[in-house]
Amino acid sequence: MTRFLLSRALHAILVLGMVSVTTFAIMHLAPGGPSVLADPKLSAAERAAIVEQLGLDAPLPVQFTRWITRAARGDLGTSFLYAAPTAQAIADRVPNTLVLAGAALLLACLIGVPTGIAAGAAPGGTLDRWALRASVAGIAVPVFWLGIMLILVFAVRLQWLPAGGITADVDGGGLVDRARHLILPASTLALASASELFRYTRAAVREGRDANWWRVARARGVPRRRLLWRHAARHALVTLCSVLSVQLPRLVGGAAITETVFSWPGMGRLGVEAALARDYPLVMGVTLVVTLGVVLAGVLSDLGQLAADPRLRRA
Amino acid sequence: MTRVLRRASLGVLVALGSCDPAPSGVAGTLRLPIINDPIFNPVIAPDLGSVMVNKVIFSALVRPDTALQPTPDLATAWEAAPDGLSWTFHLRPGVRWHDGAPFTARDVKFTFDQILDLSSGTRLRSDFAAVDGVDIVDSLTVRFRLTAPFAPLLTLLGYNAGILPEHLLRGQRLSDATAFNRTTPIGTGPFRLAQVTPGATVVLERNPHWYGAPPGLDRLIFKVVPDINAQVAQLRAGELDLVTIEPANLGSVQHQPGIAIRQVPVVQHWYVGFNTMSHLFSPPAVRRAMAYAVNREAIVAGVLKGYADLPTGTIPIALRTYHDTTLHPVPFAPDSAQALLAAAGWHRDADGKLRNAAGREFAFDLLVDKGNPTREQAALAVQQDLERIGMTVRLRTMEFAALVRDRVLPGNYEAILIWWTTPPDPDQFAFYASDQDNNHVRWRNRTADSLLLAGRRTSDVATRREIYRAFQRVERDDPPVLVLFYPREIQAATTRLRGLPALGIRDALRHSEALSLGPGT
Repeated sequence: MTRFLLSRALHAILVLGMVSVTTFAIMHLAPGGPSVLADPKLSAAERAAIVEQLGLDAPLPVQFTRWITRAARGDLGTSFLYAAPTAQAIADRVPNTLVLAGAALLLACLIGVPTGIAAGAAPGGTLDRWALRASVAGIAVPVFWLGIMLILVFAVRLQWLPAGGITADVDGGGLVDRARHLILPASTLALASASELFRYTRAAVREGRDANWWRVARARGVPRRRLLWRHAARHALVTLCSVLSVQLPRLVGGAAITETVFSWPGMGRLGVEAALARDYPLVMGVTLVVTLGVVLAGVLSDLGQLAADPRLRRA
Repeated sequence: MTRVLRRASLGVLVALGSCDPAPSGVAGTLRLPIINDPIFNPVIAPDLGSVMVNKVIFSALVRPDTALQPTPDLATAWEAAPDGLSWTFHLRPGVRWHDGAPFTARDVKFTFDQILDLSSGTRLRSDFAAVDGVDIVDSLTVRFRLTAPFAPLLTLLGYNAGILPEHLLRGQRLSDATAFNRTTPIGTGPFRLAQVTPGATVVLERNPHWYGAPPGLDRLIFKVVPDINAQVAQLRAGELDLVTIEPANLGSVQHQPGIAIRQVPVVQHWYVGFNTMSHLFSPPAVRRAMAYAVNREAIVAGVLKGYADLPTGTIPIALRTYHDTTLHPVPFAPDSAQALLAAAGWHRDADGKLRNAAGREFAFDLLVDKGNPTREQAALAVQQDLERIGMTVRLRTMEFAALVRDRVLPGNYEAILIWWTTPPDPDQFAFYASDQDNNHVRWRNRTADSLLLAGRRTSDVATRREIYRAFQRVERDDPPVLVLFYPREIQAATTRLRGLPALGIRDALRHSEALSLGPGT
C-alpha cells in the first residue's frame, strides 16, 4: 500500500511538472496578451511600466523558472485581473465549486446508476428504451441552452427558483436559500453526467448477465433481486469507479459554462476568465489545482476499485 | 478548510433562525450587474466593472452634470491662474472618510502623486499628462501645477479620478494594498462597502455621513453576472434592476411588464480607421469618397436597430455643447464617391474593379475584432458597400487583445473597424493631432493640429465651442477616420427606478445618491 501511494505521489509530481510546462508554453504561444494591456489608449510609457510591474519583460525561460521556484514554495504569484494573490482568488472559489460539483455528482449517481441497473436487467424493455433515448438527449443538449431554458421556465415564468448566484443578495446564506440556488445549476451540470453514468452502468450490468458467474448464481438459486442489486451492481461498480474519476475533474474544472449561465462563482469560470484575459499567474494556478484534483481523483478511483474487486488486491 | 466549516456552521445557524429566505426585492435596494470582480481602487483598476463600483464608493473633486459640464463634488470652487498653468481647488469642509477620518488636501495630493507615478500601477497617467504636480496650500486647498494650459482638466477630474485615503494607503504600492483593493475600500462617496462575496456580490450601503443630499436607496448591490443573456434573464426574473444591453437583446426585454427601456447617447465614436501612411488612403479625396460610399443609415437601422445616431465627425452628439448641429451627416452617395475616386485617378475596369493608371487594384484588408456581433456585422456592411464601388476588401478578424497589441499600437494595418470611448470633453488632441500616441491612423493636418492645441489651452466654453466647430469642419474636407455612428447606450430597468440621470451608466453612477425606487408603473 505504501509503495502504491509512493509511486502515485511520484507520478503526480511528474504530471504536475509536465502540465505546468505545457500550459505555460501554450499560453504564451496563443495570440494576444494580457487583457490589462489591451487598452488602445495606453501610452508607450504606461505600457512599459505595466509590463515591468507584471514581470513580463523578462525572457520566457526566466519567467517560467521564476514562477516554478515560487510555486514550489507555495507562492502562486499575483493575479493580473484580481490584483490579489492567485492562491486567494482560487481559494475563494474552491468551496463553491466543491458544493456544485458534489451536488451534481450525487444527483447524477442517484439518477444514472439505479436507472442503469434497472435498464440493464431488462434490455429492450420499456424503461430501457425510454431511458436510452433520454440519455442521448442528455448528452447532446448544449449546456448553455439547457441552463437558459431552465432559468426562463423556473425563474422567469414560474418564479419558483432564483435565476443565479449562490445566495440571495440580502440576508441570504441560510441552508434553504443555498439549496434553492443550487437546484438549477446542479441539475444542469448533472444531466450529461447522469446520462453517461446510466449508459456505463447499463452496459456493465448487461455484460454481467452474459458472464458465467451470473449463470452459476442463478443455478444456485440466488434470488434475482439480490443478484441484480448486490452482485451485478458490484460488478458495475468497478467500471463506475473509473468513469467517476473522469467525471470528477470535469465537474470541478469544466463546469465553466454552467457557472457562467448561473453566475456561480466557481473555479471553472475563474479558469476561463483567466484564460481569456491571459492572466498568466491565474491560469497557471487554476491549471495546477485542477490537475491536482485529477490526480487525486485517479488515486481515489484506484482505491475504490481495489475495495470493490477483491481480485485486484491480489495482483 | 476551517473557513469552509465556519461558513457551513454559520449557514446552519442562519437557517435555524429563519427558514424562509428573504424576498428578492428588498425595498430600497437596487441591483446592477458587473461582469467580473471589481478592484476597489479607481487609480489602478482599468475594467468597466471596477470603474462603475468605484464611481459610487470614491468621490472625485468634481462630477459631470447631465450636460456633462463639471459641477462641485469634493471641491466646492476652483479657479485657474491667468496663464492657465495652475488651478486652485477649494475643498469641501467637514467631509469624512467612510472610516470616520477627516478628508483633507493631503488625500488629494497623495492621490495625484500616485496617479503621476508610473511605478504605482496607475492607469490614469495619460489622462493627467499635463499635470506636473499637486501642492497643498492649506488643509482645504490644493493647487495643481501644469506644464501647459489644459482645459480638459476639470472633466478628467470628474471622470475616473476618485480620491484615495492617504491615511490608509501611504507607504505601500497601490497594487500591493490587497485588503483595501479587494475587501475593505474606504472612500467618501454616498455609499460604503458593506460586504463582498468574491465572484458573486458587492453590497454597498448608504453612507449616513455623506455630505450631500441623503441617498435615496438603502443599498446598491453589484452582482457579478458575466453572461449578458443571464443578465437579461435575471432582469426579467426581478433579480436585477438595471442592465445595459446590446441591440440583439432588445427582443427579450421589450414589452415586458415592469421593465422600461431608455436610451442615452454616450461619448463614443465607432469608425473605420484607414492607415494614412498607405498610398491608397493618403489623399483626403479618397477618404471622402469612402465616406460617401458607405451606407451608414442602413448600418444604424440594421445592425444597431436604430439605437445609434448618424455621425457628422469625430465629436459625438453626446457632447451637446460642442457637437456641431449645423453640420449634416455625410449622405450615402455612391455616385459622388465614384466621381471623387475618378478625380483621384481610380477608374473602374471592365470587371468593375477600381484600378489606377498603373493598373493596380484598390485592394486592402479590413480588420475587426472577433466575437462582437455588432462590430462584425458593421464590418461586413462596410465591406459590401465598398466592394459595390469597385474596391476589393478582405475582412480579417482577430482577437481584441492581439488586435490592439500587434496592429493598433504599432499602426500595423491598412484599415480597421474600432471605436473610441473618450472622456466627456471635446479634446481629441491625443487621438487626432499629428504624432500622438493614440493617433494610430497617422493622420496629419496642420490646421487641425493648431485647433486641437488651441482647444486644449482655452478654458472659456464659448471660445472652445467655436474652436471645435472649426475642427469639425476641417474633418469634413479631410476626414481622419470614417465615422460610422455614435452608439446609444440601451438601459433596461425596472419601472420602479427613479432619479437615473440621462447619462451613460458610467457617468450616471456619479449621481448614485439621486437613485431611488418607487411604485412600479
